[in-house]
Amino acid sequence: MYKLIEFLRRIHVVLLFIIIEAIALNYYAHSSFYTQAKILSRANSVVGGLQRSVFGVKHFFRLRSENEILSARVAELENRLALYQDRESSIATDTLSLALVDSTYVEQFTQYTYLPARIISNTINRNRNFITLNRGRQHGIMADMAVITPDGSMVGYVADCSDSYSVVISILNTDFTTSGKISGDEHFGSITWSGHTPHKVQMSELTKYAEFEIGAPVVSSGLSHIFPEGVKIGYVESFKENENQTSFDVVVRLAADMTKISNVLVIGNNGYVEATELEDRVKNSR
Amino acid sequence: MQKNLLYMGAFVVLVLLQIFILDNISLSVFFHPMIYIAFIIMLPLDLKPLWVLLLSALMGFAIDMLTGMHGLNVISTTATGFMRPLMLRLAVGHATGADDSLPSLHRLSTKHLAWFIILVTSLHSFIFFMLESLSLSHLPYTLLRLVISASTASLMSWYVVKLFTKKILNK
Repeated sequence: MYKLIEFLRRIHVVLLFIIIEAIALNYYAHSSFYTQAKILSRANSVVGGLQRSVFGVKHFFRLRSENEILSARVAELENRLALYQDRESSIATDTLSLALVDSTYVEQFTQYTYLPARIISNTINRNRNFITLNRGRQHGIMADMAVITPDGSMVGYVADCSDSYSVVISILNTDFTTSGKISGDEHFGSITWSGHTPHKVQMSELTKYAEFEIGAPVVSSGLSHIFPEGVKIGYVESFKENENQTSFDVVVRLAADMTKISNVLVIGNNGYVEATELEDRVKNSR
Repeated sequence: MQKNLLYMGAFVVLVLLQIFILDNISLSVFFHPMIYIAFIIMLPLDLKPLWVLLLSALMGFAIDMLTGMHGLNVISTTATGFMRPLMLRLAVGHATGADDSLPSLHRLSTKHLAWFIILVTSLHSFIFFMLESLSLSHLPYTLLRLVISASTASLMSWYVVKLFTKKILNK
């Protein structure tokens, strides 16, 4: 017994090293992007305020280009608003039942809600990159909301949020995956990031029947409940057949410059809960 | 006591520097210097290995908690702390004292100190990036990240260590 204690005393550093490493390795091995985001959002409750101040200084120097993009976006939205106002006034003067038409209008135009938010932390130098926003539950943000730039390019989606902050899984995260298509073509593929460069993503499993050329815009397919159809992802930079020669592997240059973004729009799908509940019910009943 | 306070201050400053400045510099996917490793380099060379191990793990834990890295930093800093004596032997070679005791950090020659810093930061970056990528299929990219980030971290650590040893000597 004495010898055993003496032996343990001699190797206590090695023993402690093995124990710490084993715990940490186990913890790391069982970490998923979801739990990772959970911890990050808790940590943000503490450091979020400080990070916001630091980011405020960086944000100041980007105001000029941000303003130009926002102005262009505002102008575009004003145009669309004018169009809807025209339509509304023509319906109001129509002799048809306004209530009947109005309900379809409201449903159509309020399926998605847009909330502005500011980025207070953004990484691009890891395999799993996350973005922290200065808006949280109390501002109406929920998990699985889409995040886009003010000019409508894909950024990521909300993984989790605290009361005042949200953590977004960036499109530059190896766990990120969504469905995309070539604009104007109904064939879709799977969008992922390989971790090599912050300016490109991959679209795999795109059928060989798809017709497109270099430079064609790639947009979200609308097949997920998170991103509305038509959100800009990027442009085709190059493509080749996959190993089995059954589909195309496309390299897509991102529309959003992920190294420079500071303002974003968070999109809530009002039909998300209803649709996912229905899908779960069907899955469980089978 | 004052020395301990200096070390505590260095711990806090390096963590804040990493979280609020270096992690927010989004220059490239290949640029991810980890300056907090300077803390492990700066620890007294005659400090008991148990304390080096615990303080290294604590540094990794602090960074993990603040960045949501899930144990990756604990793994790399603890391993680095554990291997630190070996790195020092490799850097200093046979230039130890007559009784085989280790010289203190500020007594190391420029060459030995530089080698020590390069070895420790490279070891730490190697463990970190290999575990982060968890794949050999992108090995050239991982190695490029390692070289760029470790060399930047070494350079930064050099200045931090120089500044810190100067402070310690003034006390």
